[in-house]
Amino acid sequence: MLTVIIFLPLAGALAALALWHKPKICRWMSFSVSIADLLLVASLSFGGLRTGSAGSWLLLEDHAWMESLGVRYSLGLDGISYLLIFLTALLGALSVLVSWKQIEEKVGLFHFFLLAMQAGVMGVFLATDLFLFYLFWELQLIPMFFIIGIWGHAGRIFATVKFVMFSIAGSLLMLVALVALYILRGHATGHYTFSLFMLTGFPLSKTAELLIFSAFLLAFAIKIPVFPVHTWLPDAHTEAPTAGSVILAGLLLKTGAYALLRFAFPLFPNAARASVPVLITAGLIGLFYASWIAFAQRDMKRLVAYSSIAHMGLILIGLAVWNSITVSGAVLQMINHGITTSAMFILVGMLDERTRTRDLAEMGGIWGQMPIFSAFFLLFAMSSIGLPGLNNFIGEILILVGAFATHPGAAMIAFGGMVVTLVYLLRLVQETLYGEPRSEFPAMWDITGREAAILVPLALAVLVIGFYPGPVLDLMQGPINSIVGGGIGRIAALP
Amino acid sequence: MRVILALMLLFPLAGALFQALKGRSVARRVSEMAACLAVGGAFVFASTAFILGWNTSISLTFFEWIAVHNFRVAADAFFNPLSALMALMVTFVSTIIHIYSVGYMHEDRDYTRYFCYLNLFVFSMLVITLADNLIFMFVGWEGVGFCSYALIGFWYPEEFRANAGRKAFLLTRIGDVAFGIAIGLFFVRFNNTTISFINAHTGELQAGAATVLGLLLLWSAMGKSAQLPLTVWLPDAMAGPTPVSALIHAATMVTAGVYLLIRLYPVVSLSPTAMAAVAGVGTVTALYAALSALGQRDIKKVLAYSTISQLGYMFIAIGAGDLIGSMAFLLSHAFYKSLLFLCAGCILHALHDKGDIFMMGGLKAYMPKVFWLFLAGALSLGAIPPTGGFFIKDRLLLSIMNNPEDLFSIVWIGALAASFLTSLYTFRLFFAVFAKPVGLAVEEVRPIPRIMTDTLWPLAILGIAAGYLNLSPEWGGNEWLAGYLANIQGAVEHIGADPGLETQTALFDAALASAGVVVAYMLYGPRESFAFRQLVELFQAASGAALEGFYLNWIYTTVIARPYRRLAELLWVYADEKMLDGGIVACGRTLPEIASVLRFWTTGRISTYLGMLFLGFAVLACGFALSFYLAF
Repeated sequence: MLTVIIFLPLAGALAALALWHKPKICRWMSFSVSIADLLLVASLSFGGLRTGSAGSWLLLEDHAWMESLGVRYSLGLDGISYLLIFLTALLGALSVLVSWKQIEEKVGLFHFFLLAMQAGVMGVFLATDLFLFYLFWELQLIPMFFIIGIWGHAGRIFATVKFVMFSIAGSLLMLVALVALYILRGHATGHYTFSLFMLTGFPLSKTAELLIFSAFLLAFAIKIPVFPVHTWLPDAHTEAPTAGSVILAGLLLKTGAYALLRFAFPLFPNAARASVPVLITAGLIGLFYASWIAFAQRDMKRLVAYSSIAHMGLILIGLAVWNSITVSGAVLQMINHGITTSAMFILVGMLDERTRTRDLAEMGGIWGQMPIFSAFFLLFAMSSIGLPGLNNFIGEILILVGAFATHPGAAMIAFGGMVVTLVYLLRLVQETLYGEPRSEFPAMWDITGREAAILVPLALAVLVIGFYPGPVLDLMQGPINSIVGGGIGRIAALP
Repeated sequence: MRVILALMLLFPLAGALFQALKGRSVARRVSEMAACLAVGGAFVFASTAFILGWNTSISLTFFEWIAVHNFRVAADAFFNPLSALMALMVTFVSTIIHIYSVGYMHEDRDYTRYFCYLNLFVFSMLVITLADNLIFMFVGWEGVGFCSYALIGFWYPEEFRANAGRKAFLLTRIGDVAFGIAIGLFFVRFNNTTISFINAHTGELQAGAATVLGLLLLWSAMGKSAQLPLTVWLPDAMAGPTPVSALIHAATMVTAGVYLLIRLYPVVSLSPTAMAAVAGVGTVTALYAALSALGQRDIKKVLAYSTISQLGYMFIAIGAGDLIGSMAFLLSHAFYKSLLFLCAGCILHALHDKGDIFMMGGLKAYMPKVFWLFLAGALSLGAIPPTGGFFIKDRLLLSIMNNPEDLFSIVWIGALAASFLTSLYTFRLFFAVFAKPVGLAVEEVRPIPRIMTDTLWPLAILGIAAGYLNLSPEWGGNEWLAGYLANIQGAVEHIGADPGLETQTALFDAALASAGVVVAYMLYGPRESFAFRQLVELFQAASGAALEGFYLNWIYTTVIARPYRRLAELLWVYADEKMLDGGIVACGRTLPEIASVLRFWTTGRISTYLGMLFLGFAVLACGFALSFYLAF
């Protein structure tokens, strides 16, 4: 089942390549494939998601692959990965819709990359064999390189090269560390394996653990991205086509945070514990620094990109504090950020399609011209600032209040993030929607049916998670308790 | 009771949803009716709850909202006489203002957006009023902030209105940060964030924690209630439609801060420091805003500063330990101040939105109804006997005087001075608008829709009479309100001052308030040829500073806002792009070769670039490892 979920998009990708000369059919085909994948993922929840037989795992698949090397094809689904692959399938389908009008050249190739990337991301969220994980990790990277490089805006080559350089340099380092871990364990026990379950709990020497952990951490930190290795992100986002930004912000960044939670922390608990102050500091700096810089941006997409860095800073804090409340908040926030930031990128993209500009200085008075669009814009902006009753608030309050017991100082500072976030988002809303129109755009039309089909599901998600997050939170409790319970700092530390 | 309270909340929420989804596709009349019915329905349920829940105090849960481990938040309610009364006031004033708005907005085509925000506001305000869990209360707390932002900037094409909305949201959120931190502290201390639980277990708080919490709550209240130094947004907020100013920026949202302090009074009162701070902030603000009100020329700005000043009184009363006095003041102020704002709305409507009071004058002849309504409001605001406003303020001043702490003798003098100033600026406004000879603005007086004046009578009656609910036995009353509220935690039913002293202070207060009217008459009355003209001119010169709110706004702009913007630019260009990004990219390029990355790409020397970047990151990772090593 999990294999089908991963490889259905890949099959769709190949079909898209075959249909390269029929853009219309290609679009419909890609859309139906991604919808089918979404339905498949959704259908999992009818199969009794709550009754896990193997601990907190709901579904496991394990096949021999490269037996001599100890590489197995093993996938695992638990509540956390379920939520993330659901998000992947949803954003995958929406990305096809988003590109309907924006991508007109090499349509088949574009959808090939888009669907292949979706498969890669799914694989990252499901792999429980570290070698397999690494393969998927790289698989998601390459399509993005081409999507930005071919269909991006003016400065796309520089941006995409920078993006790939950062990613590859980080992941090569991870590969080295991965192999080191594999050899160290194999050497000690005589049994060579890449399995996450078997590698967990393997005692490493202090220095080895620290070095290997640092390599993993750096690879994941680049992807999240954590201050100070975030500088590839604004360029990549600014140059990417809308679908690229949606996948990048909504999914690729999540793989970094997810890998930190799934692999880096449980594998190297002692090193992780030592890194907590550094991670929290980096998260705090990211939150304030990126918010501050976001305030100065003139390009709407760049502004949203910096807001992404700031939001991911808070997620990093939630992970680093490492108790069930903050980690729940962080995982929920990954979902929320995927919804809200994607929506912001989509809205900016829609505006760009109409006005051919993303310069804030040329915007203004959009509300008068496109009221429905503007209402959506305001809703997602308010979600982004963490207005209670909307989705982001739940994640934020879990992280902030949960952090209070053990890290009161950091939590207090992080609360101040409420203000700096508001500052740049209100500027964005005001310069775009309010005031008198600053430029004459030839054609402005309010959102079309296709665009509504993209925005309505996201808006519903914002409201439903905000008002009734219970089911989502319940789903992740089991795995989070089992991961955090064995990691650094047990929940018993809380009063 | 659970159903009644739930319906009270759901009606305005459903109203807002209806406006958002369907408002544009139905007839205007239907949309207006729906908005009024949603709020009217809430009023009906608030009354039912008020009667059925007489003297009960219950907490109940609607549904579990967030539940992770021991962090459990429910959408819940803590219904006691305090919240019952507050809900009644909120829904009543809201209903009147919704009906009034039908008239006020009759020329505006964007009415659905207006009513959507307004209904949403009522919902949020009721959440604040009823919520038991502080995090659920926070939904309302930030919700009203958002609605206030959206409604102040309702006429968004004009930049200054949108700016005013943004400023209001930002400054109140600076207060909300303290609210958030307080929630975190409560959770750590009590493992629970419900008001009823916290109030029942205040004994477990140490003195230090109580002071910190008290000050945090004070700071969050200061943001919402526009106390110094977070005042500057409220005068600007007058850029919104006038009914919005009446509802949000006079009667309800701005009193949320006071309400919060009353709700969590058992925590605040644990700390003498926090109590002194509450009273101190209130006193300074009351004086500051009263002086500023004296300098204003715009009718709404006078009222805005007056609101800030009166909110200061409510803070003082809490600091002095007189919850009932504070709550009584809050209620009667809500009636007469929204009345005054709505009258101002009528006047502005008639005069084509020309708000300078010194361009008005002689309006009595044009709008006699508004004249009487305004007079009722002014008498109550000025606390002129025998209006209810007088008795309420009298109790408040008495409780300050009766407080044994040394600080309160200073507070008392400040409060008295502010009391004199209040009646002075109120009647300055009154005489300027109605009594002076007809001014320039009164050329073309538009008729005022009847709906806008006729709906105001209940407010006028309540504005004058609400105070009688708490008439002390000395004046033939039975202190009904005090008796009703006596059961809320920390309430002191009777001030317990010497009866002789009580009469003396009452006479003194009355004399002081009346003196304000007399001085205002001499300075701004109809007979301009008074010997006081010199004084008026002198006063006008001095009022330049007051007009600007003593330059507080200017200080904010130059010390905080502008540097923040400038530094953001510098940080972006120099720190992020030049230093960080430049550093990493240079690391990848190898230092001696300062060629563009693009050339690397085209000349196929990607491998060098990648290699160097890889090395750079490897060094960084080792650095990480080393730093963790030290912390291991």
